[in-house]
Amino acid sequence: MLRRTALAATALLAAGALLLSACSSGADQAPTTSAAPDPDASVAIRLVLEPENLDIRQTAGAALDQILVDNVYQGLVARTPEQEIVPSLASDWTVSPDGLTYTFTLREGVTFHDGQALTPQDVVWSLETRRATPAWSDSARLANVTSVTAEGQEITLTLAAPDSSLLWNLTGRAGIILKEGDTVDYSTAANGTGPFTLDDWRQGASITYLRNDAYWGEPAQVAEVVFDYIPDNQAALNAALAGEVDVLTGFDANLKEQIEADGDFALVLGQSTDKGTLAFNQSAGSPLADQRVRQAIRQAIDHDAFVEALASGETQYGPIPSLDPGYEDLADVAPYDPEAARALLEEAGVEDLTLTLKIPNFYSTTIPQILVSNLNEVGITLEVDSVDFSTWLNDVYVNRDYDLSFVLHTEARDFENWANPDYYFTYDNPEVQELYAESLAATDEGEAAQLLADAARIVSEDAAGDWLYTGASVVAVGDNITGMPSINVNERLNLAELAKSNG
Amino acid sequence: MIRYTLTRLALLLLGLLVASVLIFLSLRVLPGDVAQLIAGTNSTPEQIAAIRERLGLDQPLPAQYLEWIGGVLRGELGTSLLTGSTVASELAEKAQVTVPLGVMALTIAVVFSVPLGVLSAMRRGRADGTALSVGAQTLAAVPVVWAGMMLVVVFAVWLGWLPAQGFPRAGWQDPWAAFRALILPALTIGIVEGAMLMRFVRSATLQAVGQDHVRTGAAKGLTRNAALIRHGLPDVGLSVITVLGLQVAGIIVGAVIIEQLFTLPGIGRMLVADVSARDLPKVQGELLVLTGFVLVVGFVVDLVHRVIDPRQREAA
Repeated sequence: MLRRTALAATALLAAGALLLSACSSGADQAPTTSAAPDPDASVAIRLVLEPENLDIRQTAGAALDQILVDNVYQGLVARTPEQEIVPSLASDWTVSPDGLTYTFTLREGVTFHDGQALTPQDVVWSLETRRATPAWSDSARLANVTSVTAEGQEITLTLAAPDSSLLWNLTGRAGIILKEGDTVDYSTAANGTGPFTLDDWRQGASITYLRNDAYWGEPAQVAEVVFDYIPDNQAALNAALAGEVDVLTGFDANLKEQIEADGDFALVLGQSTDKGTLAFNQSAGSPLADQRVRQAIRQAIDHDAFVEALASGETQYGPIPSLDPGYEDLADVAPYDPEAARALLEEAGVEDLTLTLKIPNFYSTTIPQILVSNLNEVGITLEVDSVDFSTWLNDVYVNRDYDLSFVLHTEARDFENWANPDYYFTYDNPEVQELYAESLAATDEGEAAQLLADAARIVSEDAAGDWLYTGASVVAVGDNITGMPSINVNERLNLAELAKSNG
Repeated sequence: MIRYTLTRLALLLLGLLVASVLIFLSLRVLPGDVAQLIAGTNSTPEQIAAIRERLGLDQPLPAQYLEWIGGVLRGELGTSLLTGSTVASELAEKAQVTVPLGVMALTIAVVFSVPLGVLSAMRRGRADGTALSVGAQTLAAVPVVWAGMMLVVVFAVWLGWLPAQGFPRAGWQDPWAAFRALILPALTIGIVEGAMLMRFVRSATLQAVGQDHVRTGAAKGLTRNAALIRHGLPDVGLSVITVLGLQVAGIIVGAVIIEQLFTLPGIGRMLVADVSARDLPKVQGELLVLTGFVLVVGFVVDLVHRVIDPRQREAA
């Protein structure tokens, strides 16, 4: 008996040593770079955030867009990972010079997963219903549309005013085409036109897709995709090393050496529109209502430290990330300078300032740690209040009960929130709102982008908030996998090109 | 005995009623609601209000409670606000992971803790007895998460014998795969719970050694160990049953942590997800069933105790 206990103790100690030495061993697999794709392959992809239900019509959240849009549900137009707008259910489209009429040619021979044909009436119904149903997500994005009509395969959208964001919005949820009068239970099932069908959802574990053999376009190159929801990075790493998953998304770039040690995985860092946003509650009465205090906080923060600590991403000094139109490098607006920060605080007559940071508890503790030490450096005490996301939504988003708040805003092209005085950012600048409206009304893309850039500079100069970093899409890809997207995968994960060779 | 059983049963029902009120109220203290979560960060207050109304969250609390408890009395545990699935069906599905996990963990705990606990008591004062006792204390102090990680690193990543996480999609239709998926999680809980149980068995055994009837047995010519085994161990067994009853609750708590760690789709993981999604009707139903389960186990333990232990009957 004694021997067995000793043995167990030895095994545990050995295991500890192994963990400390960074899990360098694992099952050996020969690299299979040259092998042909296996059409019967099943690919297991690790995702972090599981959706609460699958109702793409009404339930918000990037976890739904990430897997359902492009793969299961489609719109008239789609976007590439590089954020280009491309045809999807419409084979082409034209926009009238005044920007008020969009005409799409609907593809023929498209069927839904249940076998019913896609008709022009389905398109009219989907867009009209979305527009007229406030309870459906993103319905406001079609606010400028006054009518949707069909003649043959031609679908015409008529607008009350030009809207430079309309096509982009149609690539997202607002543009999803559903079957009119469908009886599918959207909470747990789906009926779309995409290259994959939803096969199975094991809540708390995984979602499985199968190839849609009746797909109107190029069929998917794998027979099955399994999304495994594994929130913990260490558990995900173990799963990868044990050969249980082929791809890890949302990975920690600090674990690069461990995941690459075997030679079975390579870490890919792609761009993303994930903005690590530090919101300042600048409502009247708050010490943060003073622009100098906000500017001081921005200049007290060492933005490079976040990129270093995350081992990925890039710095961002304004509201628009580098993938989006209107981006410019605004580093000169708030350079890291604790000395200047202290001077600004003194000028504002602020002493012994204590602020609270509300942060959802699923983010890395590194972020508050850096903030606490940076702000402490200039004489601001930061108290960290780590809360679950529902509490964050209630306290920060609904009740505006916060000083500072950190959230990763993943959505692309979401500058609108800085032009919305009712948003939880509590930022209200009529000039920015005007520039944003002009940008929407612009019929020229370049002009629209320039107006956004002008507005973004003002937001940054006002220190309306701070942007700690632009995140990266950190994806670990098995060496037998090709066609895995690497850009902005937290928001959209188009798997049409995914292939796996079994070598 | 019948009177005792009936009184005990009445207490059980009263306990459940009190628990239902506590569960209901404690969940209402949580800030945030499911309507906000559904509507997301680009929604208007009107949208949130509309969702709240659709889900019945705008009703006053007493009305919500009465509706819930009325449903429970009719045998309906409620439905999820998010997916529309019933609590009963969800529990039944997730129990296919959690119940076998708990049974395996408990079996592992008992199998190694009872003999080792008795042995370490019988060998008290000797090197091997001390080693066993120290070993148990050390293992009982190990955080469950760390123990789990270590087992994964050795048996899944390093040796490749067992899966590191997850449960087969085919479930128990593939019994061998399902069983393998539960080995490491069950070992993790089993070792830590077992180490605690082992310390208890050891002290219960030591106590038994000092009992009159064991000493009498020894005086009648049995060796000390033989006397202990024949006359002392039934006492130990009785205490172990009591502690096991308490440990059922410990195992449920352990399952919540372990199911997160091993991404097992069980009751613990479902509960955590439902709380963070503020799917309160579902959480209520789940907690009520778990509470009921623990209370029933306590009830059964008490009855068993009374049947086995003659002293309690005499005292009554």
